[in-house]
Amino acid sequence: MAEEPGLSDQYPTASPWPLFVALGLALSEIGVFVGLFPVAVFGLILFGGSIAGILTESGYAERPWPTLLGVGVVLIILAAAFTLWQVPVADIALSNVGTGPLFTRLVAVAAAGAVMIAMGGVASVMEQTAA
Amino acid sequence: MVAGDIVLTGLMAVLLVGVAALLTRVENWRSYTPLAGGGAVTGDETAVINREKPAGIIRWLTTVDHKDIGLLYGVYAVIAFAVGGIMAMLIRLQLVTPGGAILSNNAYNSILTSHGITMLFLFGTPIIAAFANYFIPLLIGADDMAFPRINAIAFWLLPPAALLIWAGFFLAPVTENMIEPARTAWTMYAPLSVEQANPGVDLMLLGLHLSGVAATMGAINFIATIFTERNEEVNWANLDIFSWTILTQSALILFAFPLLGSAIVMLLLDRNLQTTFFAVEGGGPLLWQHLFWFFGHPEVYILVLPPMGLVSLILPKFSGRKLFGFKFVVYSTLAIGVLSFGVWAHHMFSTGMDPRLRASFMAVSLAIAIPSAVKTFNWITTMWNGRLRLTTPMLFCIGFVSNFIIGGVTGVFLASIPVDLILHDTYYVVGHFHYIVMGAIGFAAFAGIYYWFPIFTGRMYQRTLGKAHFWFSMIGTNITFFAMLALGYLGMPRRYATYQFDGAIAPLTQVSTFHQLATVGALILFIGQLFFVWNIVQSWLEGPKVEDGDPWNLERDGMLDREFQWFEEQLEADSPEKDPSLLADGGQEEQDEDDS
Repeated sequence: MAEEPGLSDQYPTASPWPLFVALGLALSEIGVFVGLFPVAVFGLILFGGSIAGILTESGYAERPWPTLLGVGVVLIILAAAFTLWQVPVADIALSNVGTGPLFTRLVAVAAAGAVMIAMGGVASVMEQTAA
Repeated sequence: MVAGDIVLTGLMAVLLVGVAALLTRVENWRSYTPLAGGGAVTGDETAVINREKPAGIIRWLTTVDHKDIGLLYGVYAVIAFAVGGIMAMLIRLQLVTPGGAILSNNAYNSILTSHGITMLFLFGTPIIAAFANYFIPLLIGADDMAFPRINAIAFWLLPPAALLIWAGFFLAPVTENMIEPARTAWTMYAPLSVEQANPGVDLMLLGLHLSGVAATMGAINFIATIFTERNEEVNWANLDIFSWTILTQSALILFAFPLLGSAIVMLLLDRNLQTTFFAVEGGGPLLWQHLFWFFGHPEVYILVLPPMGLVSLILPKFSGRKLFGFKFVVYSTLAIGVLSFGVWAHHMFSTGMDPRLRASFMAVSLAIAIPSAVKTFNWITTMWNGRLRLTTPMLFCIGFVSNFIIGGVTGVFLASIPVDLILHDTYYVVGHFHYIVMGAIGFAAFAGIYYWFPIFTGRMYQRTLGKAHFWFSMIGTNITFFAMLALGYLGMPRRYATYQFDGAIAPLTQVSTFHQLATVGALILFIGQLFFVWNIVQSWLEGPKVEDGDPWNLERDGMLDREFQWFEEQLEADSPEKDPSLLADGGQEEQDEDDS
């Protein structure tokens, strides 16, 4: 990739990330609370990805991938904890996705976490092997 | 259902890929350098364009400059004010006849709910954030806010919040009324708000939640900015009054809004996941009122303290005298901030709560009149024997004081339990708080817009239109809301879509007359706002350019604040052939580049 400076390097008062952090949070909330599985998953991915991006841009992290991985882990832990706390063990089965108000939502959160872990992991490995 | 999910998945995937593509196009995240490295750009330095901001729409979508974000907040708030205002007009037109003139009962309830939420959360809070974002850093001599990116995130949460709050109106026609606008009134009292099956209520609650997150992020930012980013010449002793009120307001937001957020989440859980926070067998419906008003009453002061700060800042400028009793105005601001958390149950006197508790809330509510009166007397004393200049911002400040007195004194009566039991849930309450939210908060916002118009546009507004705006607003406000006070005395209950009651309950003819008067007042008010929009838009585009850094002639009285000094520096740095838009942008660095 040609080393052209990005927007936020060219302009000291511009950053593309805040808009997407906000959009990601809004979509996540709608997805999780209204119970729209795809919106929840993609919203959370956008939210986690933008957090990784904005932290890297502002210099709090060196690379975005570990943050993405970290957000994914946090989401999975949260989803797992809520599942164990609130869903009867007998109901925890893949065939039950789509039934019951809480379980499907938690699966959506966990799915988003898994995708972020995968993205963060693969990108980290690729970056290190490329370097 | 499955087909719907697949379509939604496709849409979301396209959105995500689109976002990723856009980001890759405008941003190179491989070029990020750690801040410790001095923030210099890696790669080809000659490719770097030495300007502050990108051009066109990308500038506005990506800006983290406090002044740009302030303008975005301002535009957003004015649009929300227009939407909320049109809703208010529909309400007033409906009530011209006892049977309701133009709306169905359902439509009326939807519009009533949205009018309140729009004005408080989408106009009130953002218009204050607009002034604070643009001017707090200038007033305290900071380069920017403490967290510029969080500042931008806080703003960008608001457009989705507005779309969600209004979602029912857009979705009802396309979903064959499956999703309708919320009809819970802005207070969202349980059990009504739990039992309305309409998903539009969920969307509105989510929108409110997002707006609360935005306000909290903004508040943290203002507190950090005022504490840590002050110029070395600015200390606590000479910090300006507007910054004091924003600091206090931000503290209130920090304690109040997270509570609203939590209560909303509980309500959403009750609605969607069968929890029982506000059910009779659980926490009970009254729990909602306690939680809501523990947020809701500080919210009143969240909305009114910064406007009081604006008036305290602007009114002395056109009185030719410094603010009388500055210290006591600050102390009363802090006192109101603290007391505001101890009065919430005065909204609940008629709920059957413990009378001993009621008495203590009455005492605190009456006590809060004292710091409010301190401020009022200080404003009046500032003007006393002053050299008054009745410019448009000054007229709005005087209008503020006048309306605030009526709104405040009617509030003192409501704070008294026996009076409240008579007037509770009548138009008296509506008249009282509209004197504050429109007559005071709205007027202070107008004062701020006119006072700083030269700074954020580089141009001057049209004075005659400004004064017409004031007089129409002042007369309209007083006719509309005074009529409401009278309606309250006649026993007219608030929130009703129609009022065809028996003549034995209330004198229907008089009630109708006062409703019609209120509508005439609202029309006058509406015409005034047309002057405002016309004036602002036309003057921004074509108004005469301001060439003097002190357009209000404040230097004469030694009252030229830091923001006008900054403006003067901008004017000096700009030569006429330069891009005039730089005036509002700062453009300091570009000037430096060109000068070198």
